[in-house]
Amino acid sequence: MSQEIKDTNEAKKKKDELILFLTKTEERESLLSKANRKLLSDPLDDNNPITVQVLGICSALAITVQLKPAIVMSVAVVFVMAMGNVVISLLRNLVPNRIRIIVQLVVVASLVIVVDQVLKAYLYDVSKQLSIFIGLIITNCIIMGRLEAFALGNGPWKSFLDGIGNAAGYGLILIIVAFFRELLGSGKLFGFEVLGHKGLTLEESTGLYALGYENNGFFLLSPMALIVVGVVIWYQRSRNRKLIEEN
Amino acid sequence: MDRNSNSYIFIFSVIMVIVVAVVLSSLATALKPMQSENVRQEKMQNILKTFVGDSLKIDGKSIELTRAVASEKYNDYVLNQYALDYKGANKDGVDAFQVKLAEELKKPLEEQTFPLYEATYEGKSYYVIPLRGAGLWNAIWGYVALEEDLNTIKGVIFDHAGETAGLGAEITTDWFQESFVNEKIYQGQSIVGVEVKKGYQGGNDKGDNAVNAISGATITGDGVTAMMEERLKNYKDFFEQKKQSKVAIR
Amino acid sequence: MDLLNLFVKSIFIENMIFAYFLGMCSYLAVSKTVKTAVGLGAAVIFVLLITVPVNYLIDTYLLQAGALSWLGADYASIDLSFLSYIMFIAVIASMVQLVEMVVEKFSPALYGSLGIFLPLIAVNCSILGGALFMQQKAFTGISEAITYGAGSGIGWFLAILAIAAIREKIAYSNVPAPLKGLGITFIITGLMAIGFMSFMGIKLEGNEDEKVQEAALESNNMGEEDEQTAVITAIEN
Repeated sequence: MSQEIKDTNEAKKKKDELILFLTKTEERESLLSKANRKLLSDPLDDNNPITVQVLGICSALAITVQLKPAIVMSVAVVFVMAMGNVVISLLRNLVPNRIRIIVQLVVVASLVIVVDQVLKAYLYDVSKQLSIFIGLIITNCIIMGRLEAFALGNGPWKSFLDGIGNAAGYGLILIIVAFFRELLGSGKLFGFEVLGHKGLTLEESTGLYALGYENNGFFLLSPMALIVVGVVIWYQRSRNRKLIEEN
Repeated sequence: MDRNSNSYIFIFSVIMVIVVAVVLSSLATALKPMQSENVRQEKMQNILKTFVGDSLKIDGKSIELTRAVASEKYNDYVLNQYALDYKGANKDGVDAFQVKLAEELKKPLEEQTFPLYEATYEGKSYYVIPLRGAGLWNAIWGYVALEEDLNTIKGVIFDHAGETAGLGAEITTDWFQESFVNEKIYQGQSIVGVEVKKGYQGGNDKGDNAVNAISGATITGDGVTAMMEERLKNYKDFFEQKKQSKVAIR
Repeated sequence: MDLLNLFVKSIFIENMIFAYFLGMCSYLAVSKTVKTAVGLGAAVIFVLLITVPVNYLIDTYLLQAGALSWLGADYASIDLSFLSYIMFIAVIASMVQLVEMVVEKFSPALYGSLGIFLPLIAVNCSILGGALFMQQKAFTGISEAITYGAGSGIGWFLAILAIAAIREKIAYSNVPAPLKGLGITFIITGLMAIGFMSFMGIKLEGNEDEKVQEAALESNNMGEEDEQTAVITAIEN
């Protein structure tokens, strides 16, 4: 009896050691390597998908009127990009070069449809929030761009990191733009009236509105998103001067 | 095998198509019942919401009107449903709940079916009418509950497929929907619905068939105006019959 | 008549770039010179012209609820619309791959300068956008789908041509260094889009006659030119 317990204990210990060993080597080789961390941090600034690589602009304009949809979209893109990059990276030695675009699009579209269908069945409320973004996610050129430029030539783990990093860099710009557009355009953040309440008359208003402040409705229109992104680029490049273009 | 040979490409694409088709269609088939159940429950929730509000009061207790609660209690409140033709006569053998307005709208007026739900809640009866129209980008739809006089609005629910967040999408917000409460749909003898008016100066005037528009969402607002008038006016014959019969009973 | 309405509408009033902001990525990245812009613009017209009608046929005869009824009464209840995204995108991707192969074969120089953006036409949102708008607009015939495809393609072409011309001029202007290139392009596009918003008020439906439309068309062109010069002078100042 005791011998049996000892045996199982020993077996368990060995197993634990093995797991520890595996995770350790994994960490030493990939998680902690400098190159891999760069994969995550680079897209946040030096190689930002929106402001430097010029990818994923359409969605950045369409959904940055408010913070909430911007954040929902960012989360969805993180998921789809990480998954898509891994799948394509696993398939990279099998995909014939001539039909690679179709394969990439089919993988992305299938992933998005699977997610959409599952959400519709189990998390209906979330799916209602996401449903208008489905088309935008499939045609988000960040996803295609990274599949084409990175995942086709690198291993799954690196592609995974690249996907997360680029989606995060994309989300960062989305959130910055949405913050300014919602704040200046409707005086709200996440739907809360942070600048006070605007009544029908000056007397009924509170906060800034009582002083005669007006929302700039222009910020709600899409052209303003372009101009806000332009200003973000201006700010980023005046701090990070190596990004400045010749003309 | 050479990855760029035509036969490899052909085999690869065939395998890919089969795998994707099998995965997607089996997933869609497997999840279909749950999805349609969600859609059905949401429809019930929306219908109840127009005259109940966010929470249901049962024996003095108030319960949040979730989809599950709505589908459970739906039959307790919605007692009658009609599938009307454009003259206000009931079509036999048509389940009003299954009528899809998206399809009805494509038909000529004479062939359309107009659903109407009759409900009783806290001793009052309400008439709920589904709406559907076009916004700026895509379809908008909703439900409007009328009080017993078939003129005063008890409540509305709007939803949309893809209006701009912060502009057109604001039609789903409480403040916009609440502004419809107690508005009248009749102007004189004709049904005009409620106009979503830009630069509205009427304040809270409930007798003028107009509410304040969302700034920056003119086209979605016009869509709501058009949808209300176009849908509601087809119920006029039915409303008149209903009113007549009430007078007769008295 | 209706087709002309649709055509003018899809070029100016519902311009893919300035009204819907679709296809922005390649628009911004490949608009440095007029030459490459023309190449990409032509490719977009071509792809839209083919994919919109093809997707229209697929949607009408395969995907919509009840679309399969031509196969027999048993198939009438089948609704494949959940496959529409993937079908549209597959059609688009194969067309793009075709264009890529043709361009590579006949114009290696153009192929070189279009670089990564040729495959990216596949995810040029304006192409899928065209297919989805087509589905949403519920066209009644293939001629409408062809007109719409051509119109939105030409609209996109005009937009990229305009911005490329402006960018070529801007190279000689004194733009603040951090704004050079991408930054100023974003801002100019924003200003151009504000100009294009003025077309939104034009109503082409109804019973206006052809002359009115042509007048509208002319004033549209005028507006665009005026605006370009305005932008250029503003920047030069």
